[in-house]
Amino acid sequence: MSAPPSPPAPSRSGGRGRAGVVAEIAARRRVDVRAELAGLDRSELRRMVRAAPEPRPIAERLAAPGLHVIAEIKRGSPSAGAIAVAGEDVVARARAYQRGGAAAISVLCEPHWFGGSIADLSAVRTAVSLPVLAKDFVVESRQLDLLRAAGADLVLLLAVLHPGPRLARLVDRALALGLEPLVEAHDEREVEGSLATRARLIGINNRNLRTLEVDPERAATLRALVPEDRLVIAESGVRDPATVRGWRALGFDAALIGEALVRSGDPEAAVRAFVAAGRPPTDPANRDRVPFVKICGVTDAAGIDAAVRAGADAVGLNLVPGTPRALELREAVELAERLRAIAPPNKRPAIVPITVDLPADELNRIGRALDADAIQLSGHEPAALIASVDRPVWKVLHLPASIAGAGQDALAADAVAAAHAHRSAGAARIMLDTAGGPHPGGTGVRVAAGLVAAVARAVPVTLAGGLDPASAGPALRAAPVVGVDVTSGVEAPREHGRRPVKDPLRVALFVKRARAARIDRPNLSIRPTPVHPGLLDVDDHGRWGMERDFGGRYVPETLMGALEQLETAYDAIRHDPRFWTELNDLLGRFAGRPTALYRADRLAGAVRDEAQRLLATEPTGRLRQPASADAGGALPRIRLYLKREDLAHTGAHKINNALGQALLTRRLGKTRVIAETGAGQHGVATATACALLGLPCVVFMGEEDIQRQAPNVLRMRALGAEVRSVTSGTATLNDAVNEAMRDWVTNVETTHYVLGSAMGPHPYPTIVRDFQRRIGDEAARQLFDVEGRLPDMALACVGGGSNAIGLLARFIGEPSVRLAVAEAAGDGLETGRHAAAIAGGTAGILHGSRSLMLQDEDGQVVEAHSASAGLDYPGVGPQLAALAEAGRLEVATATDREAIAAMRTVTRMEGILPALETAHAVAALPKLLAGLEGSGRLLPDRALVLLGFSGRGDKDLAALERFGEVDTWEGIT
Amino acid sequence: MRGTPATAVDATGVADPTAATSLNAAARPDTNDTAGARRIGDAFRAAGHAGRAALIPYVVAGYPDYEGSLAAACAAIDAGADLLEIGLPYSDPLADGATLQRASRAALLAGATLDRSLTLVARVAAARPGVPIVTMGYANQLIGGGDGRLRAASLAAAGASGVIVADLTPDEGGPFEAVAAAAGLAVIYLVAPTTAPDRLRTVAGRSGGFLYCVSLVGVTGARSSLPPSVRGLVASVRAVSPVPVAVGFGVSRPAHVRALAASGADGVIVASALVDALGAGGTDVDAMAALVRSLRAATAR
Repeated sequence: MSAPPSPPAPSRSGGRGRAGVVAEIAARRRVDVRAELAGLDRSELRRMVRAAPEPRPIAERLAAPGLHVIAEIKRGSPSAGAIAVAGEDVVARARAYQRGGAAAISVLCEPHWFGGSIADLSAVRTAVSLPVLAKDFVVESRQLDLLRAAGADLVLLLAVLHPGPRLARLVDRALALGLEPLVEAHDEREVEGSLATRARLIGINNRNLRTLEVDPERAATLRALVPEDRLVIAESGVRDPATVRGWRALGFDAALIGEALVRSGDPEAAVRAFVAAGRPPTDPANRDRVPFVKICGVTDAAGIDAAVRAGADAVGLNLVPGTPRALELREAVELAERLRAIAPPNKRPAIVPITVDLPADELNRIGRALDADAIQLSGHEPAALIASVDRPVWKVLHLPASIAGAGQDALAADAVAAAHAHRSAGAARIMLDTAGGPHPGGTGVRVAAGLVAAVARAVPVTLAGGLDPASAGPALRAAPVVGVDVTSGVEAPREHGRRPVKDPLRVALFVKRARAARIDRPNLSIRPTPVHPGLLDVDDHGRWGMERDFGGRYVPETLMGALEQLETAYDAIRHDPRFWTELNDLLGRFAGRPTALYRADRLAGAVRDEAQRLLATEPTGRLRQPASADAGGALPRIRLYLKREDLAHTGAHKINNALGQALLTRRLGKTRVIAETGAGQHGVATATACALLGLPCVVFMGEEDIQRQAPNVLRMRALGAEVRSVTSGTATLNDAVNEAMRDWVTNVETTHYVLGSAMGPHPYPTIVRDFQRRIGDEAARQLFDVEGRLPDMALACVGGGSNAIGLLARFIGEPSVRLAVAEAAGDGLETGRHAAAIAGGTAGILHGSRSLMLQDEDGQVVEAHSASAGLDYPGVGPQLAALAEAGRLEVATATDREAIAAMRTVTRMEGILPALETAHAVAALPKLLAGLEGSGRLLPDRALVLLGFSGRGDKDLAALERFGEVDTWEGIT
Repeated sequence: MRGTPATAVDATGVADPTAATSLNAAARPDTNDTAGARRIGDAFRAAGHAGRAALIPYVVAGYPDYEGSLAAACAAIDAGADLLEIGLPYSDPLADGATLQRASRAALLAGATLDRSLTLVARVAAARPGVPIVTMGYANQLIGGGDGRLRAASLAAAGASGVIVADLTPDEGGPFEAVAAAAGLAVIYLVAPTTAPDRLRTVAGRSGGFLYCVSLVGVTGARSSLPPSVRGLVASVRAVSPVPVAVGFGVSRPAHVRALAASGADGVIVASALVDALGAGGTDVDAMAALVRSLRAATAR
């Protein structure tokens, strides 16, 4: 074992050119290596290489889903000095890394600065069964032979040390020796140089080699430069598992982790934690986020093995005579048998023969011979044929590869009609492929993206033709297809006169890239949704609704530039995993997400009792579906799940949006933040986000709200925000928005307006919805984990609508889920003193968009009335208005007193003090359950009800006092 | 003047709403080709021929009450207005500063309604027929949940020549332009210092009668001085505008008017300063008229 390092102090200033410290080390290494090689002639070196153990493959392992850990052994470094104890047992450490789940082990070989040695490498290689990376400063070609001879399976090559052609030669030499080269780059130029070589593994080092400082942003920027058909490894700068989670989301395949492990007292546990952080997240409620993947045209056993190892969902065996990948039936049967023999039974890819224009009896004969899971019809088979085929049928529809814009709508309509025809005739899967070309069944050219998207929005389709590992991700993000199919894009370079064969690494990479394409991009459309697109998203003019008559941008001209800037910035980040990773990281580590999903059984019982009581006392005639109740039959039992946003940092869902928009403020280059607030929750959340990011913050709040939500005012001030009292109008939320808009008009060049609700001029309703939709996305996942299905009803209180649309967005396209909101009825709808913009409002323009609102016949805004400051607003967001107008949203109401009663009941029954806003949703639930409000339909027995528990009620204790005479629901003690 | 034929609107006065939502749709009704726009254009031309910028004072309908606002409107005209702007009081005037917020609220409390504001417009128009009237309001008052055709028709019937909508831009204004054009009413758009150069041309091209140039980044309200950038702003707006350019927001003193007239503005709009001049009770019509006269004297180039 070598002594612990006492490296020469690196000089941080210039004089050494680009490579800086590295050049210094490399120069020293050159002297050492030459001395070592001097004693060896070429034949001796060749003999040593031949005697070395077989290389252990690594590339395919890194192409498995997720981010893998390459755990490093080093005794010291120029940046950290000596970090391991002298004489430490590197072998024991390597074994611990292996037990922890590392994919490979990296061993420092450089002696002077890092205290490493080739002897360390050999010792580690012998002790573990993992591939070992020689972390050396390779300065010349014969050094590669030495490292291979010592047992290295991979070798690090630093782009900074070698001009392009020499780097390419080193890569070729390493590949010839069976050493997998990992080419490391630190900047754009080096990435370019690395990509010009045949290296399959590209490393991106976050450390600035001149200053030795670590810049994690560098990883994100450089990662984007590497095409998806290479494996990309992040190096340096790992602090904790969250760093690794972020890198996984950015599309890194592995992380080289050194110091963070070396410094850990329990290396095995430390590796295990990093490995866990690198696994892709699973989301059973959003299965289509992980698309179906079919590997088609497999021609040999190696191809079958590759598809099985990669975890493909289906394997296509081509039985179309005269095509390049055509198999005899006998060959196909053998491949199918092999697949069955080697695949794990629970994850076996489906076996699918590919056919063109065969009669039914022939198809059935093929199906029997292969015991096929499905039969693919790739010709011009009529839909009527499907009924005669005795196995599931996958039908290929051919679309032209390029079409003029004008014809696209007609083509899409034809394709949708054809798809529907085949689906109703029984086709289990529809695949889209290009038509024409030299061979039937596909031409390797991808169908025009716009056309695919148009069809995929209407019917579930699998995209085929022209895909490869680099294009799979973009294709899946461009259209809500449910799967992808690949043939030539995962093949090895074709040898003349031979059938094409699959390249196992490309197969694995294709599956990995496809599966990862939509993870960490919460706002991607992932499958057809059976509702009008106007209920899901805006059109080009920022308008919602089936008639596109809600939303838009009604603001003074002064703000138009800022809104356009905001729209452009948001478009850029909307599908940028870097942004969402940063936000998710903050929400997880700072804001306490995911919030709990809590099954409130006692409350569920009380809700049902209250519903029964309401029915008993209700004058007849209002119940639209009275059957079950008056037959002495009981109302359905419900399982009530509370999505506990009250547990998020600052006590309400508002932090989701505030953090998102604070990050957005940074991207916009603005230096000041303003916000409006009603109950104070959005103000507190924004003040919190601004404190975190060091942004000055001004919160506008109506004077009346300042009085009734005093604790939140103190919190905002403590967080460093300035709270500006608004005395105009009714001195509530509506006026606070007006005043915030006026401030924005005045300071628009420096200021971002963090609007707190899913309302306002386009693009605010979209932005806030996107930041809040994680409420429903999370809840769906959590509910799926415990119940295995989605809720029967999702219910939230609504003021402006950020909490409501946040909970409901996930379920708009799920016909089985009833969507409901509870509006604040104040003193009662019939009194006119309420805040029910949907139930009691009309269409109009308020705060920048057209929606439903309270107004008189002159278009004057009518004061809202609610004891709940957060719901005391005369408008509602345009997407909710569109949903209500389309009949997709059920509206219930709760008066001040009903909300207070519900607040007391929840607190007493469940030990949770809800915000007064939240209590409106609880108060409305018995009415919905009894069919007295909303659609009047009864829920099935044991219905799952998901209630958005938007916030905690500490701020509302004064309201409880004020309504001291209002008790809990009857029978609650 | 631009020459889009009036036949761009069909007999019912309804334009294709899909075409109208786009900022650059080719065929659209042109509210600069209306009777109202021609009256406005004539007023600007007359002032120009006299070597002056046009003066456009502003009164809030129903402030301090109906009769008071009628007196103020007539006094402002008699003191030298070339055009008169009448504000329709609104509950949520988010483009307005403290003065006009207060006046709006006072007017509503004093019983102002849209009908009464229309009657006011009609009475001023009848009493002082030589001076074109433009009304100023907010989108929800004029368009709300529909396309605004009833409002446009009643404004035109009352004698208004044009309408300014503080929170309406050409991006959303297409349908309203169609109904306004059918009613013979000019839709006057605003440009601001934050309006990008390419957008400036489009907005100016869509404005009827004149173009309202907002002098500063902010809300309405008297300022002691205008931003130095206003001279360059006026020049760049005038360079691309096919219609006269009137400058407003912050303009309160004769010196401001003089500077704006010198910088080439075709007109100046004075609002909050006049409401302030009416005093706390809103009744000091003489003081307001005196300010109008001194502003008028400053309009000479």
